[in-house]
Amino acid sequence: MDNIQLSNVVKEYHLGKVTVPALKNVSLSIDRGEFTVIAGPSGSGKTTLLNLIGCVDVASSGDVVVGGSNTAQLTERELTDLRLHKIGFIFQSFNLIPVLNVYDNVEFPLLLMKDLSKEERRSRVMHFIEKVGLQDHMKHRPNELSGGQRQRVAIARALVTKPRIVLADEPTANLDSVTGQSIIDLMKEINRSEQTTFLFSTHDDNVIRQANRIIKLRDGVIVAES
Amino acid sequence: MRQFFVIAFRNLTSHSGRSLVLGGAIALVTTLVVVMLALTAGIRNRMIENATALSTGHLNVGGFLKISQSSAAPVINRASKLRTLIAETVPEATLVVERVRAYGKIISDENSIMVPMSGIDMAKEETLLGGLALAERGDYIEGDLASDAKPELPGRMMDLAQQGSIVMFASQAKKLKVRVGDTVTISMPTYRNIYNTKDLRVAAILKNLGLISSFTTFINHLDAREVYDLDPDTTGVFQIYLKSIDQVSAVDDRLRKGLSAASYALMEKDANPFWMKFERVAGESWSGQKLDVTDWQDETSFLKWILDIFNALTVALTATLMFIVTVGLVNNMWMSIRERTPEIGTMRALGLQRRGVLVMFLIESCLLAVMSVGAGILIGSGIVGLLNLIDVQISSEAFVMFLMSNSLWLDLQASDLLITFTTLSVLLILGAFIPAYRASKMKPITAINHVN
Repeated sequence: MDNIQLSNVVKEYHLGKVTVPALKNVSLSIDRGEFTVIAGPSGSGKTTLLNLIGCVDVASSGDVVVGGSNTAQLTERELTDLRLHKIGFIFQSFNLIPVLNVYDNVEFPLLLMKDLSKEERRSRVMHFIEKVGLQDHMKHRPNELSGGQRQRVAIARALVTKPRIVLADEPTANLDSVTGQSIIDLMKEINRSEQTTFLFSTHDDNVIRQANRIIKLRDGVIVAES
Repeated sequence: MRQFFVIAFRNLTSHSGRSLVLGGAIALVTTLVVVMLALTAGIRNRMIENATALSTGHLNVGGFLKISQSSAAPVINRASKLRTLIAETVPEATLVVERVRAYGKIISDENSIMVPMSGIDMAKEETLLGGLALAERGDYIEGDLASDAKPELPGRMMDLAQQGSIVMFASQAKKLKVRVGDTVTISMPTYRNIYNTKDLRVAAILKNLGLISSFTTFINHLDAREVYDLDPDTTGVFQIYLKSIDQVSAVDDRLRKGLSAASYALMEKDANPFWMKFERVAGESWSGQKLDVTDWQDETSFLKWILDIFNALTVALTATLMFIVTVGLVNNMWMSIRERTPEIGTMRALGLQRRGVLVMFLIESCLLAVMSVGAGILIGSGIVGLLNLIDVQISSEAFVMFLMSNSLWLDLQASDLLITFTTLSVLLILGAFIPAYRASKMKPITAINHVN
């Protein structure tokens, strides 16, 4: 079943009088449970593509269908709900909430869901914190963690809502190779065990080699798929 | 919601320097407002306290008798009938005293002053007037006290019970250059437009109680009757005292209806003391008896400007300072939002609705406002309590005139504190609304990519 469907998607940015095309007629579909890499050099449109699929940005034209919903037809409120319930985000710079500890950061999206009991929230948070191996750091704030640990918190936070899709924008870019590999291993393990679709951008060849599917972008166009 | 509180509180504490400066400024403004309000309430209550002892009841039934068109005497005929009617109409009155009203000249060897006078039956008014403090010699004798060897007896308020006595305030004694034991002459026009005079001995000189002291002098009621040539069933005013000042309006209404029903002619409501009405009444074309029902505010209307000044000062000061701290708070919110724009973007990406961003920032300003205003109220209350405990004596005549008291007295009212707390908190939260609203309107992608 198609989890993500893009048809003739165009994204242009307007910088004053200049129009900069970021994506040019991109079409692709990604099924549930895929572990897909979007590869390409800087400026190729990887992040733009992830932003459109993640519903944090809208296409200039074309259709972006995520989990059966055409994002162009959704209101701002519905888009936010879609992000909350169906999409998890992992950012290059981790983007944790600095004043919350590990436990509170992971719990944050669950509090937004509002329909979970306190016990259910606790059980889910503990499950994913243990899964990323941070049970001994639950009370630590982000500035008391290493880069790898922060990215683990971000992964736990992305997964705790049990989303259908996890989008990761260069998740290993700010990590050393050993830590980066452990993060990729963790994502692959979760992809297998939870059947979560992973779609992440990178230009690290070592990471690209470990994906099930590779989509190569250049100048806003898909130039190869394997 | 709990998490929003946690985030807001931790953001405030993580920028403790900034929060402390702004919170301190808000607390300082609140403290000033609390002290100013307590000062105004203190003056108002002292004014009520002094006025209701010296020159007015909570309600008064006075009036004018005009035997010819151009005359006006502040007297009431057939007082016994009116006394009974008042007792029946106002059963809740805690005290009703009768005074003879007079307005005329006090003449000494050196000077003379025009002043309203109250003819007092001291035996019936000991509770009202017994507590008035006597002035010290320095309050009314000018020049070097040490070289002033003239002997002087200490005055006694209770000596007013004896006929031929007068009690005045230090400011009046100073103008007239008289002391306890000296003789002055009172002269006043009767309702037949004849000026009667009488010599009186200064029985006591009282400490000034602000501006109201200049408009009050006490004489024995029998002397006042003699000067006005009044028969026994005549009086000047019934001063009615109630358990609470809040009852005044309802009792006033009932009293007017009761008097009208008993066929008394009533003067139109005129918010002025009786001695400011002579000219107006004398110029009116009616003759005979008309009653004038007034309350304590009417009788002290000439002092209202003092309260108005303090109220205006409080409002102006509060508004100016509030504007400054609100600008500070709004600026603080802008800085906070700028610094946390990527964080806002992340939260929006994670599924936080726009309303959530708005609520989160409003909670932050609300916490800062409530804690700072609360601290300001506590500090302000503490300062007020401390000043009252120290019992600051006021030596400046100008300050005594404005503050209506010889010592600084501030009165904290729970309602004032509640209004201050609510008004300041709501204003500050409203001030933070625009930045919070703008933050909530940011697109997630714009916010995430924001570079500080």
